[in-house]
Amino acid sequence: MSDYLQQALTGLGSGAVIAVLAIGLVLTFRASNVINLAHGAMGMYTAYVYFGLRNFDLAGADRGGDLVLPIIGLPTSVHIVDRPTVVTALLISLVVATMLGLVVYGFVFRPLRAAPPLARIVASLGVFLYLQSVMQLRVTADGGGAAALQLTSLLPDGVVHLGNATIPTASFVLAGLAIAVAVGLALVFRFTRFGLATRAAAEHEKGAVLTGLSPDRLGYLNWAIASVLAGLAVIAIAGMSSKLDPIDTSLLVVPALAAALLGGLNGFAATTIAGLAIGMSQSVLSTFQARALWLPDFLPKGSLREALPVILILVAITVRGSHLPTRESIIETRLPASPTPHRVFLWAGILTAAAAVGLLTLDAQWRLAIVVSTIATLIALSSVVLTGYVGQISLAQYAFAGLAAFVTARLAVDGLGFPWAPMLGVAVAVGVGILVGIPAVRVRGMALAIATLGAAVAIEALVFASPTFFGITGVPRPYLFGIDLGFLSTGAENFRAAFGLFALGVLAVSMIAVANLRRSPTGLRWLAVRSNERAAAAAGIDVSNTKLLAFAVSSLLSGLGGALLAYESPALSPQQFLVIGALAILALTYLGGIATLSGALLAGVLASGGIVTRLQGGATGDASSYQFAISGLVLVVVAILYPDGISIALRRGVSRWRRA
Amino acid sequence: MTALLEVAGLRVIFGALAAVDDVSFSVPNGGIMGLIGPNGAGKTTTIDALCGFLPNAVGSIRLDGVALDGLRAHQRAQAGLGRTFQAVELFDDLSVRENLLVAAIRPRWWSPFVDAVAPRRGTRGVNVDDALGLMDLDDLADARPTELSHGQRQLVGVARALAGRPRLVLLDEPAAGLDPAETALLGRLLASLPAAGVSVLLVDHDMNLMLEVCNEITVLDFGRVIASGPTAAVRADPAVIAAYLGGES
Repeated sequence: MSDYLQQALTGLGSGAVIAVLAIGLVLTFRASNVINLAHGAMGMYTAYVYFGLRNFDLAGADRGGDLVLPIIGLPTSVHIVDRPTVVTALLISLVVATMLGLVVYGFVFRPLRAAPPLARIVASLGVFLYLQSVMQLRVTADGGGAAALQLTSLLPDGVVHLGNATIPTASFVLAGLAIAVAVGLALVFRFTRFGLATRAAAEHEKGAVLTGLSPDRLGYLNWAIASVLAGLAVIAIAGMSSKLDPIDTSLLVVPALAAALLGGLNGFAATTIAGLAIGMSQSVLSTFQARALWLPDFLPKGSLREALPVILILVAITVRGSHLPTRESIIETRLPASPTPHRVFLWAGILTAAAAVGLLTLDAQWRLAIVVSTIATLIALSSVVLTGYVGQISLAQYAFAGLAAFVTARLAVDGLGFPWAPMLGVAVAVGVGILVGIPAVRVRGMALAIATLGAAVAIEALVFASPTFFGITGVPRPYLFGIDLGFLSTGAENFRAAFGLFALGVLAVSMIAVANLRRSPTGLRWLAVRSNERAAAAAGIDVSNTKLLAFAVSSLLSGLGGALLAYESPALSPQQFLVIGALAILALTYLGGIATLSGALLAGVLASGGIVTRLQGGATGDASSYQFAISGLVLVVVAILYPDGISIALRRGVSRWRRA
Repeated sequence: MTALLEVAGLRVIFGALAAVDDVSFSVPNGGIMGLIGPNGAGKTTTIDALCGFLPNAVGSIRLDGVALDGLRAHQRAQAGLGRTFQAVELFDDLSVRENLLVAAIRPRWWSPFVDAVAPRRGTRGVNVDDALGLMDLDDLADARPTELSHGQRQLVGVARALAGRPRLVLLDEPAAGLDPAETALLGRLLASLPAAGVSVLLVDHDMNLMLEVCNEITVLDFGRVIASGPTAAVRADPAVIAAYLGGES
């Protein structure tokens, strides 16, 4: 028992970090009504700045003091000072964090203040994707050296004895600091004009104007504070756990979201308590899972701890949500246009034929690129249905694809024959898709994006890392009516056209079915629900069922993509299905036009390793990282300039040109 | 005339405020019942409660003898209760005809499978021309809601409510923002609804319209019914004149 106490108190440390991150989320939410999914990524960057500056060996000749730059095109880092002390390095990092907060607000979220939630979420995904992939490049490429940073802790490394329990002093110090931050901010918000005005602005922008402070200045201030807090929190946790990584560290935003949601996105005390409690329960759960040998082997190590915040998120938003939005919460939102698809058979025929000719005439690398694009189009199509047609922002589409892929591969390796293994895999994806959709029926907009992000992280932690699915190789070749549909072979024969043609066929049928649904009464109901849930219900539409149907159709599509991936990849790895991939696919689809079939096609063509990558002469790891970084950037720009996506902007341009 | 809609003891509480407090009234079959009252009297809240948008509303609501309590919004719509909104709230992504189609078509569980293969089959044989005709919108069937005037949008809103073949439509300020000519047209069109088998519960501030088309009027003030009865009697009621009509005449 006493070691559970020990675990709980040790968890105060990470709980404090979660709490401080969550407080930053609350600040930015109140200032500009956006749940900043890039919050963890911003802290991650600041932490790299700090540890980069301090990256020198006291005995060695290296001088440290290199400031990592997060901008593509500029050098990886600039040298600013030799061997900075902890204080100097910390001060510089916090100045950088302040600037980062100001830049992100000024260039991204200030212009989007009145934009629809989808545009704001996409923009925050853009920032996330950008920071995350730029840092991935900086860390791994050209010996920037960040991979080998020494992560020294700023905190005392002693221990405290409490009965039999031994607890790191740092945990208590951090918890104390987090509480101090919360109390300090609470006082500032209670007693200063800045605090009052921010609270007024959260209610109504005009309220802030009445207090005599411009909402702009409030926004800048809150974003700067939030960014600094995020930086401090990540520096602390990285030093304490000796772990800093562009992807994993950015995903610290998930437990922080859980704490912020439990605190009702308001109120520092509740948020802090929630954060500390999450940290403590995670710590206890790790020990519990390591002990509880009766738990099935299927569960990967440490998965319960990852799954906990997600469950909390789902519960929090489900409890708070309601079936229909209230009269007061109706806001006129501009949705990406969704023109009725025309001449579907013609276009499907032309494109399929062109891709088929490519498969039959071009070399192996091209065949691979065409297949990659085909599968990516299928997965993007699932976002078109769910997010484009029905307005439900889901970040879990890639996780559904991954589920189908792993289940298909496992079953196939275990001896289930060809059409049956993928069919079961797809069925599992559809089942989980509907399951995720059930809480989604009660929430919308931002909250749904968070719920699905949480679901994706949970699927990643509970399933993809599971020993049952890890490192499956040698999926048997698929045969249909005696025809070998296998993809892999050797030499110039590799990446066989037969599989590509089969994948193309699946895509063509899916495209036509989606186009049919869009033009049919089902599609009309989807668009009606997207445009106004209250009016849809008043017109006799069962809004919950309509959404669940969309979840089912979209997880069917990404499941099909995933099942194809099981046969396409020589060895499946969880890395193929990370949340970051889902963000990239959603980003590309949004770019292409989230509510159009051409949006899915564009996303497929642009997908990493797909046709455009091939045109550029093939991708190394760097090139595809750049692709992520640039799509992050373009995503932000497009969200601001063309909320309808590029294909709609093009279409408008063409019709304007015709009229002129 | 028998009662089509019977409301008894309807109560909606927001925090400490009873927005609708023990409201009872009935709408006769084939009648046009007016619901009037000053701003904040609880008219829209009453409509929201009737069509299932306020889960915490209490009281008994019967449509043609069938209890609607506990049914969700879409189920009440399917049971024969149509409505419009103050802010019209058309589906701007859909054409006028499509706006009516989604209200007219009742899907079955297999509909999505049929729709994925034969997209046109679901709309075959579905009649929305009657509803368009009732609101004089035949020429605008293929227009986009965003291309219409405000008055036309109001009429499309009513037509969409009619497309679901309701027994009763709840119209929330359909004359708001209309010019006198448009209001007169609306009045004529509304007066024709009982003959088409649709009863009406009408909320509006335009007293000329109300006095002209309503057979009966119920007056709300601070969430309570202060008068109810045939239009002429309500018009002469001193309590009504004091609370509502007095300021205007």
